[in-house]
Amino acid sequence: MSEKKTRVDFNAPQSLVKRADTVVEILDISRTRLLIDALEDELENLANDEEFRRRLSDAFYHDRIDYDTVETILGREEAMRMKLLRASIDQSPAIPQLEDGLPSDDEFYNGEIPEWTGANPSVDDESNG
Amino acid sequence: MEAKAVAVVDTNVLLNLATPVVDGRQKAPSGSDPLKTLLMVYNVHVPASVLGELTDATGSGDLLSAAADLVLQAADHLTTHNVEAQLGEPLEYGLDRGESECIWLDNDAGADLFITDEFNTTNYLFVILALDDRNILFTTPHILCTLASHEILPSEYVSAALTYYIDTKSWDAQYIDQLRHQKLEQLD
Repeated sequence: MSEKKTRVDFNAPQSLVKRADTVVEILDISRTRLLIDALEDELENLANDEEFRRRLSDAFYHDRIDYDTVETILGREEAMRMKLLRASIDQSPAIPQLEDGLPSDDEFYNGEIPEWTGANPSVDDESNG
Repeated sequence: MEAKAVAVVDTNVLLNLATPVVDGRQKAPSGSDPLKTLLMVYNVHVPASVLGELTDATGSGDLLSAAADLVLQAADHLTTHNVEAQLGEPLEYGLDRGESECIWLDNDAGADLFITDEFNTTNYLFVILALDDRNILFTTPHILCTLASHEILPSEYVSAALTYYIDTKSWDAQYIDQLRHQKLEQLD
């Protein structure tokens, strides 16, 4: 697939360029190839990085970035999930109706309400989605 | 009095609502019971398999197991349907059997609401698709905010519950913060 290219010029520390050139020579690839691969790897890492995703999502919820930007970075499915989830906030569910107040625990539950106090520290409570 | 709206919920929603009620630790919100409240304000329907999933979750002595015990103690307030026989294969889109049964039931019953906490992953998209885009899909945190705006649950309790869920689950915190901002802060 041949995509349109943009020329990028930038300054980098000499020692870094030297290291890169050594690697390029060993791998027998062009400097450009190495840089493109490195950039792609970094973008992919970021897309999976929790802190980055948090910041991206924050920016999206606050309208600082648009859907297309999210889609470019996270892919269509994840971008669509965020878009629909954000849109759902404005929707209102069917009206809840409470006729005569809530019944007492004794009337409502078939038995005493269990209480968990963290007595078993080895168990993680984040297991259900 | 109008009939109560029909809601189909999945197993995790019931567990997530029961969790703060049975969690005796300091960080758990107290003073209200979101599980009892949901089951009283909506006509809640579930596939019969939900009871089996709840039973499977009991017996381990952890928080999840205590939550499952509590939901089972409230099972009289759930309307169950035997969906298994009618749903041959799980729905498409890679949803698991339990979730598929809930969606099938929701569509079949023409329910007013479908509540799920499958909103962290792209499964959320598949649930929307499977529900034929009827705009009836809501999450536990959204429903809690609605209960606060109808003055059925105190907004302080709901706010504390949202914080509790963010702390104890890996839920999309930006989504929940946005719900809090749009639904709760205007109530203060």
